[in-house]
Amino acid sequence: MMKPAPRETILSLFSQTPDGFVSGELISAELGISRTAVWKHIRNLRQAGYRIEAIPSRGYQLLQSPDILMPEAIQAGLACRRIGGQVRCFETTDSTNLQACRLGDEGAPEGLVVIADRQSSGKGRMGRHWESPGGVNLYASILLRPPIPPFEAPRLTFLSAVAVCRAINRCTGLQPTVKWPNDVLLNGAKVAGLLNEMSSETDRVHYVVLGIGVNLNMRQEQFPAELRYPATSLALASGQPVSRLEFTRVLLRETDILYLRYLEEGSPPILAAWTELCDLVGKLVHADCNQLQIEGTMIGLAEDGALLVRTATGKIESVYAGDVRPA
Amino acid sequence: MDIKDLKSLVKIITDTDITEFEMENAEEKIVIKRGPDKEYVQFSAPTAIAAPAPVAAPAPAPSAAAAPVVVDDKYETINSPIVGSFYRKPSPEAPAFVEVGAIVEAGQAVCLVEAMKLFNEIEAEFKCKIIEILKEDAAPVEFGEPLFKVERL
Repeated sequence: MMKPAPRETILSLFSQTPDGFVSGELISAELGISRTAVWKHIRNLRQAGYRIEAIPSRGYQLLQSPDILMPEAIQAGLACRRIGGQVRCFETTDSTNLQACRLGDEGAPEGLVVIADRQSSGKGRMGRHWESPGGVNLYASILLRPPIPPFEAPRLTFLSAVAVCRAINRCTGLQPTVKWPNDVLLNGAKVAGLLNEMSSETDRVHYVVLGIGVNLNMRQEQFPAELRYPATSLALASGQPVSRLEFTRVLLRETDILYLRYLEEGSPPILAAWTELCDLVGKLVHADCNQLQIEGTMIGLAEDGALLVRTATGKIESVYAGDVRPA
Repeated sequence: MDIKDLKSLVKIITDTDITEFEMENAEEKIVIKRGPDKEYVQFSAPTAIAAPAPVAAPAPAPSAAAAPVVVDDKYETINSPIVGSFYRKPSPEAPAFVEVGAIVEAGQAVCLVEAMKLFNEIEAEFKCKIIEILKEDAAPVEFGEPLFKVERL
């Protein structure tokens, strides 16, 4: 674990204080720096959008944190075991998945999180575009290095879907559903998109990148006119803005919990959690698998995560890639 | 003819209106053909002086180096590490990662295999030449199934 940056230490002191006040003396002792240096850090935090008041003889008080995504604020007191040891935040990047893959190729450690305020070429499936305006949403990629053979890695797809659903529920109280394999919906409208990438050899995973895009505070007019599916954001669905910082921290914690569980128990608990969130089990679905069109009743997931569909002839088909919708 | 001479030759011909050029001597045969927006060069040793290798059918397409004819079972394959869909292109509009005849470096991506929205860029593990693409674009593939027939270089 790296030594935390001074800013992170200061922010975590604020989060631990019982009465909201942190004395300059305490900060200077914690960081081993002069009171003047403390004052400079406070000034920098203010410039970054933190509202910090200085009250004589009581100390500093943090009145409001800006809703910007910065490593210190995300990491302060995060209490994750595997995820978030390193967090890189970009104001603009091409795609957080591309950044995470580049850093993964360079040997970045497991748990690295890459976040962008906006993406200039956010990626969807099959080279489709993921609309990524600045200031409103979360675009994150998490680098994992699981000790598993490559053929097991697609199951991690369900992990991020479940983590996103849990984070949405915790932050808004809303009840999201999942669409196979890993779209997250609110009342049938897409609120999050997930796209994972892997670098591997025949028998060894170098890394997996979990790409997570969640529409948090996106407004109606920010959605492009032509979308393949109806889309929404948490703010549109709940009628209230969501703190991006808070959502990000909750999501990283939920992902961390699920990933630790996956490493200990494998994919069955993850697949079971996913199945509970899926409202199409037992319903008629249509799967568009490029060369093959499959229609039938969704009966659940195979143990490798494939979608199982019973067709009219009674045959059970396994779907590994494609678009699945209610028939 | 070395590569520098060949380059000059292509340049000389490109500067004219000649669309087809053929040259043959004791050691080699050069054919250059030009179309409206592409040009290609075929450069092969005449069969007359090819190494008297044990000839096996079918012979591979003529290649730049006058390599002895390779029997079929000397080819290797690049296999799929996961069950999923095979994609030759990074996105539907993009050009394919590789075509038949391409020389691929170790670590270079040759295709994508998608399973449950996990995209796996399959890389060549050694420098090789793509001899045959064994799967159609967007076809389903099994675990361990060969995707490319390649010649190790």
